[in-house]
Amino acid sequence: MPAEQSVQDKVRAYLQGKLPAARNLTLSDFVQTAGGWSHEIYVFYANWQEDSRNVTRGLCLRKDPGVGLLREISSLKEQYRVLQALEPTPAPTAKVYWYEEDPALLGGPFFVMEKVEGEVPNPWSRAGKQAYAEAARRGTLSRSFVEALASLHNLDWRAAGLDFLGAPGPGKDFALREVAKWESLIQQSLRKPEPVLMEVLMWLKANAPEAKRLAFVHGAYRTGNLIIKNDAIAAIIDWELQVIGDPLYDVAYVLSDLNREGSPLLSCVVEREFFLDYYQQLTGLTVDLDVCRYYEILYMMRSTAFWLSASGLFAEGKNKDLRLARTAYSVPVVLDMAAKALGF
Amino acid sequence: MLSAQRFLDEVIAALRNVIAPAISDPYPKAQAYMAAVILEFVSRQVEERSDIATAKEQALSALFADLSRLLDRKEVLQPNGDEREARLCQVIERLYAERNRLGEEVFTAANRRVRQALRQLLDEDLKVAGKREE
Repeated sequence: MPAEQSVQDKVRAYLQGKLPAARNLTLSDFVQTAGGWSHEIYVFYANWQEDSRNVTRGLCLRKDPGVGLLREISSLKEQYRVLQALEPTPAPTAKVYWYEEDPALLGGPFFVMEKVEGEVPNPWSRAGKQAYAEAARRGTLSRSFVEALASLHNLDWRAAGLDFLGAPGPGKDFALREVAKWESLIQQSLRKPEPVLMEVLMWLKANAPEAKRLAFVHGAYRTGNLIIKNDAIAAIIDWELQVIGDPLYDVAYVLSDLNREGSPLLSCVVEREFFLDYYQQLTGLTVDLDVCRYYEILYMMRSTAFWLSASGLFAEGKNKDLRLARTAYSVPVVLDMAAKALGF
Repeated sequence: MLSAQRFLDEVIAALRNVIAPAISDPYPKAQAYMAAVILEFVSRQVEERSDIATAKEQALSALFADLSRLLDRKEVLQPNGDEREARLCQVIERLYAERNRLGEEVFTAANRRVRQALRQLLDEDLKVAGKREE
């Protein structure tokens, strides 16, 4: 019986088909990264000869494993289209090359994009927090953090061709849509009644704010989702939750305690006052902190949905990753944050 | 949350089938296998805590008793199934849905009492999931 082709062999064969002029194509430093919960991510260099030249290109392949997180509300094809639309804009993103749906190729949909050189220090680790704190003291990265976010919010999303994401209606529609989206994930994942979560959901529905302006919103803008090189944001990554919506949704995520455990800095990298001042200066927006507080609570609900979905995948035996199992213990902790934010 | 037994079984399986085989150094490899063996013994010593379920039951009983005094509109409290936490979810949903008909004063009093019970439930869950005091 012939040995099963390795992922690396399959990727090489696929690339050879995409690069017919490439001779002696090889892949080097082929690694599946440990980061990321929802996709399999492979980074590598493709090396070949073409027109008597040696060519080396760093690539990253992002594949849908079929049973990853957020399958219900995020699509790989949408990520690819978003990155394609962002390429000519000032937003720092990776260039995408090919998208494939045929599961015969690698066992699931995937796309190939440029490997952006740089680092993604883990903001949850001690070393990562220290790296961000040192960068914050130097100052440049904090500025770049705000500028990259502003580059998204200042984007003319219709002109960029991002209207396929669907724009919410006026007023409270954006907030209510987000609540409904995450509530549907909760309903699919819930294995036992969660009365605290029910109270949070009801409060969110009863207190939805009006979006004063619509923008292209990343949906998870924080350190850990940013590739950093030379104290600047080289690329914004993790395009799974982007929406057309209230830009304060992203601002609230930056302000949230969820993303800076143990650090006095927002997202472990920027002083609160500087962030608010510089962001408002770059976007011309006024940050309404009451609205941000609402979105912060929405994020707590969203995190709960996320953890319920993750631990549910494990509990149902669909995924054996122990990191998913651990998230079951995160549910009461995040609900505790939400309860305290609501005053109980 | 999954049962402690199920978690231990999964951790043991991961140690034995995924983690240990992937370690090439003999010493940490042996340690990983030994951790699996020890956890198997530990799993026979572990029992689920019953005090948490009991405390939650007491909190919910007190809540439903108080709510039946607070609310004239008893249909808000109509039980639907035996499971108390599922019933509480329905009560919360109905309180918000009936807010206008209940009036703000009654809603606020009932919601405050519900939140008090929710805090008790959360505190019970946090006995397991919360951060260990240093």
